[in-house]
Amino acid sequence: MRLLLAEDDQELGARLKRFLDRQGFAVDLYDNGVDASFYGAETPYDVIVLDLGLPRRSGLEVLDDWRRGDVKTPVLILTARDTWQEKVQGLQRGADDYLTKPFHEQELLARLQALIRRNTQTVGESLAVNGWVLDEETQSVSDGERNWPLTGIEFRLLRYFMLHPGHILSKSRLTEHVYEQDADKDSNVIEVYVNRLRQKLGNKVITTRRGQGYVFGARD
Amino acid sequence: MMLSLVTAIGLLLLIAGISVHHLMESQLASRLAHDGESLLGGLSVRADGRVVLDPRRIQGIYLQPFSGHYFRIDVDGEVMRSRSLWDETLEVPDVPVGEIRISHVTGPEQQPLLLWSGTFLKHGRPVRLAVAEDLFDLQAGFRRLWWHLLGGSLALVLLVLLIQRFIVARSLRPVAEAVDDVARLEQGEATALREAVPQEVLPLVQAINSLLQRQQQRLLRSREAMGNMAHAIKTPLTLLQQITAEQARGSDDATRAQLEHYIHKINELIDTSLRRARIAGDSLGTSRFDLRNDLPVLVDTISRLHRDRRIAFEQHIEHADTLPMEQQDGMELLGNLLDNAWKWADSRVRLRVDGSTRPLLLVIEDDGAGVGDAQLQQLAQRGVRHDEDAEGHGIGLSIVKSLVEALGGTVEFGRSPQFGGLQVKVYCRWPEASSGISQ
Repeated sequence: MRLLLAEDDQELGARLKRFLDRQGFAVDLYDNGVDASFYGAETPYDVIVLDLGLPRRSGLEVLDDWRRGDVKTPVLILTARDTWQEKVQGLQRGADDYLTKPFHEQELLARLQALIRRNTQTVGESLAVNGWVLDEETQSVSDGERNWPLTGIEFRLLRYFMLHPGHILSKSRLTEHVYEQDADKDSNVIEVYVNRLRQKLGNKVITTRRGQGYVFGARD
Repeated sequence: MMLSLVTAIGLLLLIAGISVHHLMESQLASRLAHDGESLLGGLSVRADGRVVLDPRRIQGIYLQPFSGHYFRIDVDGEVMRSRSLWDETLEVPDVPVGEIRISHVTGPEQQPLLLWSGTFLKHGRPVRLAVAEDLFDLQAGFRRLWWHLLGGSLALVLLVLLIQRFIVARSLRPVAEAVDDVARLEQGEATALREAVPQEVLPLVQAINSLLQRQQQRLLRSREAMGNMAHAIKTPLTLLQQITAEQARGSDDATRAQLEHYIHKINELIDTSLRRARIAGDSLGTSRFDLRNDLPVLVDTISRLHRDRRIAFEQHIEHADTLPMEQQDGMELLGNLLDNAWKWADSRVRLRVDGSTRPLLLVIEDDGAGVGDAQLQQLAQRGVRHDEDAEGHGIGLSIVKSLVEALGGTVEFGRSPQFGGLQVKVYCRWPEASSGISQ
């Protein structure tokens, strides 16, 4: 899951990025409105955490930029501004959720997961496809009998697959959603991780469409 | 104004009356003098030395009994009277030779007479001559004239007053409109006075408008400053909270709980004071919370924030288009009330607004578990507990309570008779309309 985090406070930003990284998000952190506006429109993020009090361009203006530019990525506003007037403004201008500071990290995580599921139209509390259940808290997957712990990248990859079951996902699309901006983006690495998942969960779990990409949970 | 006009016209009438009266009497006197001279000319001395009056010199009017025209001639102890006197006499004052006297006497049949009398020397003998005429017709005519004048003047005064009233009303209409605007301003129906007024009133209206604008800007600036301050304080507070939570694992649980408690308390204190500072209250020239525009947007926002909850929302709004409070104050009040209801409801939330009474009544009900009697009592008291672990409706309602109190209203917490959950009744005070100008 690619996540854009726009937060101007250096320490809070770094702390949040670390936390979200641990939770299996590929996080890009920007500390000003201009960069956030540009990269938010440029990169196919899965979810955005937006602070309203950004320097150079306010959060609401950045939000306007995205929504005008047809960026449909779900946006969670994370701000100290807690009046209802501001909440109404934020949501009416295109935000999807609103969380006020101070907040608990777990609360933020739960809201982000809900936003992502809503956006990919996945219903239910946990992610379950074709008998596979992904536990986001322990970053592991089970088939109801056995449980496999996953590494960070494996978890990110499998979650993206499970959120888009039956879709053909190209290597470059998978790369975009699994790695953050400045990571080493060699798409062959995706091949390596797909093979690792196959080794753990069986060959059939992900099928290859030559020249197109991979499909999770394909019905044959 | 009215008094001076009436005095002036009265004085005019008096002067006119006196002059007309004088004019008429002097006219009459000169006619009498003519008649007198004609009679005098008709006197001649007969051969026997008696003085006689030539009957041809006597006008017919002196021959009809009580015609109102009389004369009397006294010469050598002999009295010649006009036939019109019949058997009455005419009392004549003694006037020295060469003098003419005009006087008012009462004649036959109580007729008011103007008497012209004098003593003349004719053929060496003193002749006393008096000619009189009834003033009755003249006086009646004069009275008639007087009444006409009076009636005319009264009509004139009335007309002048009406015209004046019309002119005043016409020229003051823009002022009356401005006064109406001020009343609408007080009721929150307008945010500025209309500037389509005549030149004379415009500076006043502009001065009031710029004052209002300054006030509105001040409110905006102070709210902005509050927002910035919240931002500045809350970010480090967030860090503090998260560092504390992180330290938790493995460290002293009691210390962590204490730290968390105080962080929470600081946050509460900041929230309470910022919220209080943001209340616009009765500020003039601010727009009202509009039930037709602001409410749907607020409800939409709340239902989106609680997207995963399936809540059926009903609203019954009667006799009200706006709430008697500034727009953002209304957002805060209803936002907290509805958000709280959404959180605790099972499936239904109902908002009722009844604007037919003063104060306006706002009722929010939900079908959740409601609150216990003990907590109801606690809610009703001042200083509701702000603990995070306070069960159920704690914090949102304490905000509502302090907000309503700051706006001068009252709030009641109870059990919804229909839904079974919490029922919050808010009585909203309307700003006092200043009496006397909004008529």
